[in-house]
Amino acid sequence: MRDYLGILDRAYDGEYISEENWDLEKVAASARRLVRKYRLEWDRNQIIPTDDALIDAVFQAGLEMAIELGVYCRSTERIIRLTLDEIEESLRAMPQTLVMGEGKDARTLYARRIGDERAPLFFGGSPGSPIPEEYFLENVISYVQEPLIDLATCGTLTAIAGREVRTGQPLEIVATRRELQLLHTALARVGRPGMGMLAAQSSVSELGDLAVAQPNLLRRCDSHLVPLLNELKLDFRNMARAVNSWEYGMINASLPCVIVGGLGGGPPGSAVINVASFIVSNVVCLADYHILHPIHIRHVATTTREVLWVISAVGQAFARNAPAIIVADIYPKSGAGTIELLYETAANAIVNSVSACHLEGCGSADGKLPNCSGLEARWMAEVALAAYRKKMTREEANQWVLRLLERYEKVFAQEGGNPGKPFDQVYNLKTLRPTPEWQAMYDQVKTELKVEGLI
Amino acid sequence: MEDALSKICRAVVEGDDVSVVEYVREALQAGESPLRILNEGLMPGADIVGKRFEEGEYFLPDLMLAGRALKAAMEILKPLLAAAAATDPTLKKARIVIATVQTDIHDIGKNIVASMLAAAGYEVIDMGVDVPLNAIIEKAEETKADIIALSALLTTSMPYMKDLIELLKARGLRQKYRVMVGGASVTPEWAESIGADGTGRDAVEAVRLARRLLGEG
Repeated sequence: MRDYLGILDRAYDGEYISEENWDLEKVAASARRLVRKYRLEWDRNQIIPTDDALIDAVFQAGLEMAIELGVYCRSTERIIRLTLDEIEESLRAMPQTLVMGEGKDARTLYARRIGDERAPLFFGGSPGSPIPEEYFLENVISYVQEPLIDLATCGTLTAIAGREVRTGQPLEIVATRRELQLLHTALARVGRPGMGMLAAQSSVSELGDLAVAQPNLLRRCDSHLVPLLNELKLDFRNMARAVNSWEYGMINASLPCVIVGGLGGGPPGSAVINVASFIVSNVVCLADYHILHPIHIRHVATTTREVLWVISAVGQAFARNAPAIIVADIYPKSGAGTIELLYETAANAIVNSVSACHLEGCGSADGKLPNCSGLEARWMAEVALAAYRKKMTREEANQWVLRLLERYEKVFAQEGGNPGKPFDQVYNLKTLRPTPEWQAMYDQVKTELKVEGLI
Repeated sequence: MEDALSKICRAVVEGDDVSVVEYVREALQAGESPLRILNEGLMPGADIVGKRFEEGEYFLPDLMLAGRALKAAMEILKPLLAAAAATDPTLKKARIVIATVQTDIHDIGKNIVASMLAAAGYEVIDMGVDVPLNAIIEKAEETKADIIALSALLTTSMPYMKDLIELLKARGLRQKYRVMVGGASVTPEWAESIGADGTGRDAVEAVRLARRLLGEG
């Protein structure tokens, strides 16, 4: 706690810089310099890098960026610098195992290694997708009823009793509490009441997050998000989320959403920023584990070649240099009820699995619509486990991903994307099973990839 | 040898805010008209930057640096162009107030759109993020803006865009401004449902929309 008080002091005492100059003269310039210095290059046909020297260089460049830049506090327009000792100590202190949930439903997350003998774990849910209150419960059940799903997450409640929830207003508190109540109801309904959660997704400001930190809502064995802003920034509202975990003791998940094609330029510079973001979030977000969620500057989706490369490079960089618990989420372009969603999910699941990450998903349809269901989460887990059980090498995995990309990459050029259908049109809300049409698509793709030898 | 306007164009493409000022001053001293410098030097450079960004060759920092260069050049040209516009109203460039609405602190999408609009030659007043609705309207009134452009990434911040339009109506100001809305979750249907004048899928479409709303495209 005392250490964090020092961080708060630095938010007031640090060097002043305008936000634009932080973006351009610090982050963008540093990314460019480090990409040149470490000769970081990517190959659009080598989605999963296998050059260990390159992977280590990505880590070293990210470490150098974290030491050189620190973090920008937007609330005070000042730089919070971190010392080398602080950074090294925080890297050493990163949890190697973390129990989430309780009782028979508890799971132990662990810092994965490349080619790890232990299977990855799976968070099921569509994090942040706007889900209507009328079928929020059913939507959550569709994920947590899946036997392969270990941990729960969920979408965002954007309306309560027909009233729109606005960020920072009283309804946000109501929505976040309601979300937690519905999550507990869902877990009880499927007989897994102790399942750990990554929740408070309806808390866009800090309000809802603070309002659910109590044992009957967000338990100490659950986690919440402490986001970093783009890039390498935070503000007092998000620091409040971290501070609120002090005495209560819930688990903090850092969430930098590095924009690939943004201030870091292409994939190598973006990977460097992502590594730096995880490193600084150990200190300023008090991160217990990290959510790996780079997004594409135009397509948002994590399933583009560029973003998949960043996921793989960052996951491997930590596994080789500073093992940490990293959960890489899957945000496909396509929505539920489309065959492309299944190809996108498969490619992303392979990348995450062989790149030393646990998995979370799926934020189908870019997480913008309620077009998501538990079926694609089951598929995510099945494919990731197949890669794990086969002891798939990075090169083999890369070949699979290239084959899958051929089947879905067209969606990025489609006008309006490939949104699919809302949850209530792909699942029977009474039986909580996929509609015959959605089930048939899943069966078709599963058979196809079984014949080809993936599953 | 490279002529003055080509040098200005190149400086914008390279995002060089020091050289562009030097080249603009040289061109003015050599007798070039401010309007020609804008239309045949700065704008072609901005077009190249926009195309390269759209094609994935340029990234956000390139766009921001080009925006800086344009801004620096416009600091010199603005008074000269204003003087010309006073006698010829067709030379007046539209003014756009842009902001990420209150409670939303995401700025990158808004920054890209602001840079692209500036690159298209509009006078862009960027109010930043988490901007209260009243402040946006006051700024639009104060600067006699033609367009109010609103951004929100968060689904739960999007209703504030609707609130701003309602506020404009309540104050009897709705007809004075075209209102553009944007953000990852904003769809054309939603934009229409709140009474906005349009939305674009990305920054390139935002520029097209602005042109259309201003009767230029």
